[in-house]
Amino acid sequence: MSEVEKTFIGGLKEKLVEDKVIDESELDPNFAKEIQKYGGKDVMTCLQCGNCTGVCPISLKIDYKTRSIVKFCQFGLKKYTLGTRWVCATCYRCYEHCPADLNPAEVMIALRHIAVREGIIPPFVKTAVTNLVKYGQSVKPDPEIEKIRKELGLKRVHSEDPEFASVIREIQVLVHASKYDKLIGIQEEVKL
Amino acid sequence: MTAPAPQDKGATTSGQDKTKAAASAPRIGVFVCHCGSNIAGVVDCGKVREAAEKLPGVVVAKENKYTCSDLGQEEIIKAIKEHGIERVVVASCSPRLHEPTFRKCVQQAGLNPYLLHMVNIREQCSWVHSHEKDRATGKASDLIRMGVSKASRLEPLEAREVPVEPTSLVIGGGVAGIQAALDLGNMGFKVYLVESQPSIGGKMAQLDKTFPTGDCAICILAPKMVELSRHPNITLLSYSEVEEVKGYIGNYDVKVRRKARYVHEGKCIGCGACADACPVKVKNEFDLGFGQRKAVYVPFPQAVPLKYTIDKENCLYFKTGKCLLCVKACSNQAIDHKMQDEILNLKIGTIIVATGYDSYVPKKNGVYRYWEFDNVITALELERLVNASGPTGGHLIRPSDQKTPKRVAFIQCVGSRNKKLGIEYCSRVCCMYAIKNAQIIKEHEPDTHIAVYYNDIRAFGKGFEELYHRIREEYKVEFIRGRPAKLSQDPQTKSIKIRAEETLLGKITERVFDLVVLSTGLRPAEGSIKIGKVLSLTTSPDGFFAEAHPKLRPVDTAMDGIFIAGCAQGPKDIPDSVAQAKAAASSAAAPMFARKVSIEPLTASVNEDLCVGCGLCTELCPYGSPELVVSEKGGMKAHIIEALCHGCGTCAASCPQKAIITRQFTDEQISCEIEAALSTTDSQNGKHAGGKKKSTAEV
Amino acid sequence: MTSYLNFFGCVIPNRYPGVEYSVRWVTGPEGFNMDAVDHPQFSCCPVPGIFYSTDKETWLLLAARNLVLAQDAKRQILTVCNGCLSSLLKATEYLQEPKNMGKANRILAQIGKKYTGVPVKSEGKRKVFEPVKVRHYIEVMATDVGLDAIRQRTKRSLKNIKVAVHYGCHYLRPTEHMTFDDPNEPVMLDRIVEACGATSVDYEDKLDCCGAGGGVRSHIVELANSLTQDKCTNIAAAGADCIVTGCPFCLLQFDNAQKSFSKDGIPVMHVSQLQALAMGIDPISLGFDTHHVSAHSLLRKLRGV
Repeated sequence: MSEVEKTFIGGLKEKLVEDKVIDESELDPNFAKEIQKYGGKDVMTCLQCGNCTGVCPISLKIDYKTRSIVKFCQFGLKKYTLGTRWVCATCYRCYEHCPADLNPAEVMIALRHIAVREGIIPPFVKTAVTNLVKYGQSVKPDPEIEKIRKELGLKRVHSEDPEFASVIREIQVLVHASKYDKLIGIQEEVKL
Repeated sequence: MTAPAPQDKGATTSGQDKTKAAASAPRIGVFVCHCGSNIAGVVDCGKVREAAEKLPGVVVAKENKYTCSDLGQEEIIKAIKEHGIERVVVASCSPRLHEPTFRKCVQQAGLNPYLLHMVNIREQCSWVHSHEKDRATGKASDLIRMGVSKASRLEPLEAREVPVEPTSLVIGGGVAGIQAALDLGNMGFKVYLVESQPSIGGKMAQLDKTFPTGDCAICILAPKMVELSRHPNITLLSYSEVEEVKGYIGNYDVKVRRKARYVHEGKCIGCGACADACPVKVKNEFDLGFGQRKAVYVPFPQAVPLKYTIDKENCLYFKTGKCLLCVKACSNQAIDHKMQDEILNLKIGTIIVATGYDSYVPKKNGVYRYWEFDNVITALELERLVNASGPTGGHLIRPSDQKTPKRVAFIQCVGSRNKKLGIEYCSRVCCMYAIKNAQIIKEHEPDTHIAVYYNDIRAFGKGFEELYHRIREEYKVEFIRGRPAKLSQDPQTKSIKIRAEETLLGKITERVFDLVVLSTGLRPAEGSIKIGKVLSLTTSPDGFFAEAHPKLRPVDTAMDGIFIAGCAQGPKDIPDSVAQAKAAASSAAAPMFARKVSIEPLTASVNEDLCVGCGLCTELCPYGSPELVVSEKGGMKAHIIEALCHGCGTCAASCPQKAIITRQFTDEQISCEIEAALSTTDSQNGKHAGGKKKSTAEV
Repeated sequence: MTSYLNFFGCVIPNRYPGVEYSVRWVTGPEGFNMDAVDHPQFSCCPVPGIFYSTDKETWLLLAARNLVLAQDAKRQILTVCNGCLSSLLKATEYLQEPKNMGKANRILAQIGKKYTGVPVKSEGKRKVFEPVKVRHYIEVMATDVGLDAIRQRTKRSLKNIKVAVHYGCHYLRPTEHMTFDDPNEPVMLDRIVEACGATSVDYEDKLDCCGAGGGVRSHIVELANSLTQDKCTNIAAAGADCIVTGCPFCLLQFDNAQKSFSKDGIPVMHVSQLQALAMGIDPISLGFDTHHVSAHSLLRKLRGV
């Protein structure tokens, strides 16, 4: 398996060969409801026509197919969705073409919500959120770029302004009120 | 004995005189049904019966396990005779089921059938409150108390009879319309068949072969078309449209517009000399634009009637004032450019609507690129290309280069089963017609590779699954489960590459085909919208005409005397269309055989003294029943055409002068139910207490 | 004259300041002189790939905060990024439901803010509110400014420049929110490019995704780059001199990915930079040295060399 494949599927490919028969105990009956709770619409109406996979730019490149992921959600085969969560580009082509008016991209987003609530937080998410509560922007300011800004005659980036401190405070209040800081694990950055 | 008419606000009952004032309230009998355990399993029928006995006016209250049974009905008749009952209250299931049963029963006992009132303690009580038995029992008692109060104010009514004209109008000359007309004609009725195209035959005439047997469509249809044209009882009005329909069952006044053909039907012998002479060539609609016809034309060689028609928009004479080559060529002087449309007024008894369907047209810039790529065609276009009397003489060719395609793909469910498009239903025939078309192509060119991109294969009918098996085993057609996501065209060869996930493989594949056929779905016919308005017909959410009951009345509509058949009612194949046509003919024949039909008297009635002729009722009525007429008392007053009235009460509720009542639903009859509902009975001494409704747990 | 609030987002100010400069130049007194001002308190939109993906409630709060600022300033938001457009526009749709608005406002109260929408008219005692308008730079240029105005202001000829336009996914979809351009055949960016005097070339799979969005670039950059590679192959086959897009994240993706599969690479820029070039700006102000793919070849072509 190539390095990239290992990253995508996380070793599950080998595991798939082991599971010759899927036992009922592996099926989570509440999974579909959880997906719906986080905005994934009712996956049970999916007829598995495969149109979403056909239009998906990511499905072309990796072993996972959009349609299969929706199927796993229907069944409640949670562990089969594990490698898939952060590969969706949310381009919404699947939603545009689905004849049952489902939104597989939103199903992916629901899977992300579930993952994060189980403590599985990709490092880049943590970085971006940390940047937000420190600088008010998800992208950290770069001193090299700051130099170029000055050359072009542009003002300093907002986050350098002292008045911007109130904005950062407001962001921290919101992020704390929705318990997002706790969810992502950045409580120590939120100084209220 | 009949009770004296109560004091209504200005209503006249049909034919009854207001006799002496009530000396005593009418004697009421209450019959509480167990319905097995449907009601008795939740409602304590014994308690309910006891309480009912104590209600004012009730002289006897009985319980029965199955009141609708012969035994139950006999009990009612016996009780009526024994106790001199004058009003009957049956507390049981929904009146939609057994109201006619009990009306007949009551009538047998010598009572006017409209002195029966049904109280629904099943669908509206025991079935919806099955987890709250005490409260359900209380509710049942309340409902019966209301019913008894209403029953005390019921009036006897007489059903009216109207004569029925033994003439039928069939709208639409496809296979359904043709079959219905033939059946009615054979039964001895006069039939008018109105078809908007120059020839009858409909979509079936355009098909090549039919599934599952492979019968040639026009070969099996043409004999029926000819039989119809020669039938002594049937008048064929082709190239005509129904413009206006007034009246009611048995008595319709229909206006039909005969569009001008510019060719006299009586003189034209169908020789075709005019068409040979005509210099104008245009795209042929029958061949869906693939073939050509002249400005003077018959749509196809087996057309019935075989009379030529001039297409006004393309005729040189109409456009420039010159030509008239056709006139010179005609040996019978049949052509007349000065012809005008003609209006016919017909007296009709029953109407059958068989307006058929239209094929779904794919969108511009849609996934399937129908408008952009030459080699993507629809199923109906394919039918014309493989048809021996089609534009290519039956040789399947690719539109881009006229070569024979070696690889053909069918794409199913185009314009069907798609919530995004707003077309959720399945068109029923596409799976089988694709299989049938695949067979035709293989018979012509056995080396063609054919793939069918499907979601499900619906092979439900007689011989269908067998053909599906054969097409895989014998003809080696490939079935790919997956909905095509992307079609692209090779700029040189114009071949089409289809990208789809083959769901059973779990892989995305790209395959190249020379020709792609879209199995387009069936949509309600364009012309049906106008007919729906003319006849006040409702449609189901899918856009096809609504049947009166989805299970038990598939060819009736909500309008008595108007029937639907064929694809006008919903997508279906030819055998089902023919079956429905025969069913509609049989239903239409019933009132026509009897020469009369009875109208339910639960209709509206106008008190002319109060009516000011504002006309609001005429605007609101969904059935076109009220009309403003000059009254003997002077001025314009509303008048209800009873045969059209469905007793919905819209006019009565909206009349600002309160001049209209709906029989059995007068203000007083409704108010007394409300008062009974709001009161609590002191069941010991039968007193009614006014005021707020208390908990119904204690009865 | 419509009044706007500039919304630059995170990527442009911190990674591609040249785009910020060109936007300000094109909309400012030297350009079309639009009434577009900054708001000093705008924060991250918030970036949908992170926030909408992990907690919709938080996303809505952060977006609503930005929307309230525009609401109080009574101006439309002018975004220059597909992601910001998608995030803010979707937030206005969510906030149209009273339940969502109430929930958000309860927490926004903690920072002294309340989202109501922009008051449009009064019906007696009742005020009628419209959602805050969020517009994309491309759409504003094509409709508010107008293609004629763009044509008139071209000073530098771009006549031999072939441009491959990249719309990006969140400009086109989901169609229930994005209604200003046809999702199957969008035209606005092409038209602006043509109005600037360049030629917009057609290439295979023009509307495909760049690969960066939704966290893919951050999670598996090879996957994102593989999609970009497909696009670049098609663009190169069409003979384009540069790629023009309306989204800085797509720009970042094209700019960074090409070195992994191509030696030279096709220069990529924001539509405002192309406009500024057409309107005669000194190219040095466009900040091309922050771009990874060198724009030398393009600028040489422009100078007629």
